[in-house]
Amino acid sequence: MATKHWAWESINPDTRQVLGKKRVVNNYCLGIASNYAYCTSCHAGYGWKDNKFDFSAAENVDCLVCHDTTGTYRKPSGLAGHPVYREMEFPPGSGEVLHPVDLRKVAQKVGKTSRYNCGACHFYGGGGDGVKHGDMDSSLGAPEWELDVHMDATGLDFTCATCHVTTGHQVPGSRYSPTIRGEGGPFMRGKVDKRNPATCEACHGSRPHTAETVAHIKPPPGFSATALAAMVNNHGIKLACQTCHIPAMARGGVATKLLWDWSAGGRMGPDGKPMVERDEQGRVIYDSKKGKYVLGENVIPEYVWFNGEVRYTLMGDKVEKQGGYAPINRFAGSPNDGKSRIWPVKVFRGIQPYDPVTQSLVVPHTYGTDETAYGKNFNWQKAVAAGMADVGAPFSGKVDFIQTEMYWPINHMVAPKAKALTCQDCHSRNGSLAEGRLKNVKGLNMRPLFRWSR
Amino acid sequence: MRLQKSILISVMACLLGAPLMAQAYEGDWKRGHVYYRMVCTACHVEKAGGAIGPNTRAKAEWAAYLQADKHAKGKDRVTFYLSKAYRDSIKASNRAAAKFVDVPELELVDDIKAFVARSAKDGDAPTGCR
Repeated sequence: MATKHWAWESINPDTRQVLGKKRVVNNYCLGIASNYAYCTSCHAGYGWKDNKFDFSAAENVDCLVCHDTTGTYRKPSGLAGHPVYREMEFPPGSGEVLHPVDLRKVAQKVGKTSRYNCGACHFYGGGGDGVKHGDMDSSLGAPEWELDVHMDATGLDFTCATCHVTTGHQVPGSRYSPTIRGEGGPFMRGKVDKRNPATCEACHGSRPHTAETVAHIKPPPGFSATALAAMVNNHGIKLACQTCHIPAMARGGVATKLLWDWSAGGRMGPDGKPMVERDEQGRVIYDSKKGKYVLGENVIPEYVWFNGEVRYTLMGDKVEKQGGYAPINRFAGSPNDGKSRIWPVKVFRGIQPYDPVTQSLVVPHTYGTDETAYGKNFNWQKAVAAGMADVGAPFSGKVDFIQTEMYWPINHMVAPKAKALTCQDCHSRNGSLAEGRLKNVKGLNMRPLFRWSR
Repeated sequence: MRLQKSILISVMACLLGAPLMAQAYEGDWKRGHVYYRMVCTACHVEKAGGAIGPNTRAKAEWAAYLQADKHAKGKDRVTFYLSKAYRDSIKASNRAAAKFVDVPELELVDDIKAFVARSAKDGDAPTGCR
């Protein structure tokens, strides 16, 4: 019951911030407070419908959501983490009928977790397929080698737990306290080891490139393949492996959300009712209840110096509307601290409600059919008042909107080596960063590219 | 004595094995997903003008389609594309066909059935082409 999948709360050991979905505010669905019954369809428990949920009640732990192998166990949004026990119309009045899960069959076929189990929540975070992470979506259910060399369903076929090896249901590799560099070389699976097993180095070590593995790259004049491999390995001191080996995110045919503008919500259709608008590919880009979205596929990440320290802006922390983007979280790092590496990130930008008097982010009551839910009455004051009352936080009664950004480290969708970044992707011929991938990374002094190429 | 022992072992093996032999193969929807996506969808995208998501049909429609075993409006059979011979013919260029080249045909048919039933528009997990 100490697992994060139950507690939805964890302490960052470096910053001592108490984080987890129970605590943080984000710029996607904003927060779980007062919206529990919808968000907790992804909780490994039953019945978390309000702020009185009993986290000491072991009988409410849901083992099946992670250990079902039938692929039939589902927990629809709005049922507070319950599956469907009997045929029901949901939401009431919608005409949509939900069919019950065959719990006997599911219970008789429990097993180890698969990508589908983890993906049922992690692929759909933020309210839809691929919305949140950028490097995780339903295309990783049965991915091709080109999409992810580790999870390749026709090859290595890694499950999530192959890398995120659990001990006592503690799942390592959290974005709330990332490991920036796996130290100490690769380690044997099954051996007691307290290091994070979900780093690249945990299997590959810190100098994985050899003359053989870089044989597809044409060495510069005077360089042997061995010297080239050494040079590429040296790049690992300042570059995360992911920087070169994940050339783009959302590569599996599923778009990820890049911007969510809540302030645009509330526009009704010609009939005066809530509506949705879709792009030419049929993807929702406007919803009266949620606002406007920008989506993208094959998105090139942004790059930042990152030393592993993440600090979140929690409710009550002061945010200022100054024209730029207020941080939902900050990745610390610099070229000179001896720890940082350049890391690929998805920077998700939002325009979200905040309290201009207390200068705090807010959690509105967005989902539901009651009179204070924004999706029902389209009144931000009522929605924010209900949400803030739920967490016992002050609210001035005034609502404004603020631009925010949130950083997400990119770790999945590792491409085959032939699709990794090349030297020219970052090094221009004259040493200028103007054209290169890392042009926006501060403190870089790039060497000109040799006159050679692959 | 040795003969008695052999008979006893044989009888025990039959008794223990009978329930397993009697148990029908239950389709592996995960394997069906891989084959559907990487063989069926890949070919449809390349040669037939586009993919057909499992969620474009209801469970009953998929069951009827697979039962009829008519592919391309009856020009050939669906099961041909699940056969060992077909997998063998494309294994050099298709990683999924290569991986599953030795899977018994009837098992693969059941895998596909299980996958489309799960992924149909009225299934437990409606799935597009991914």
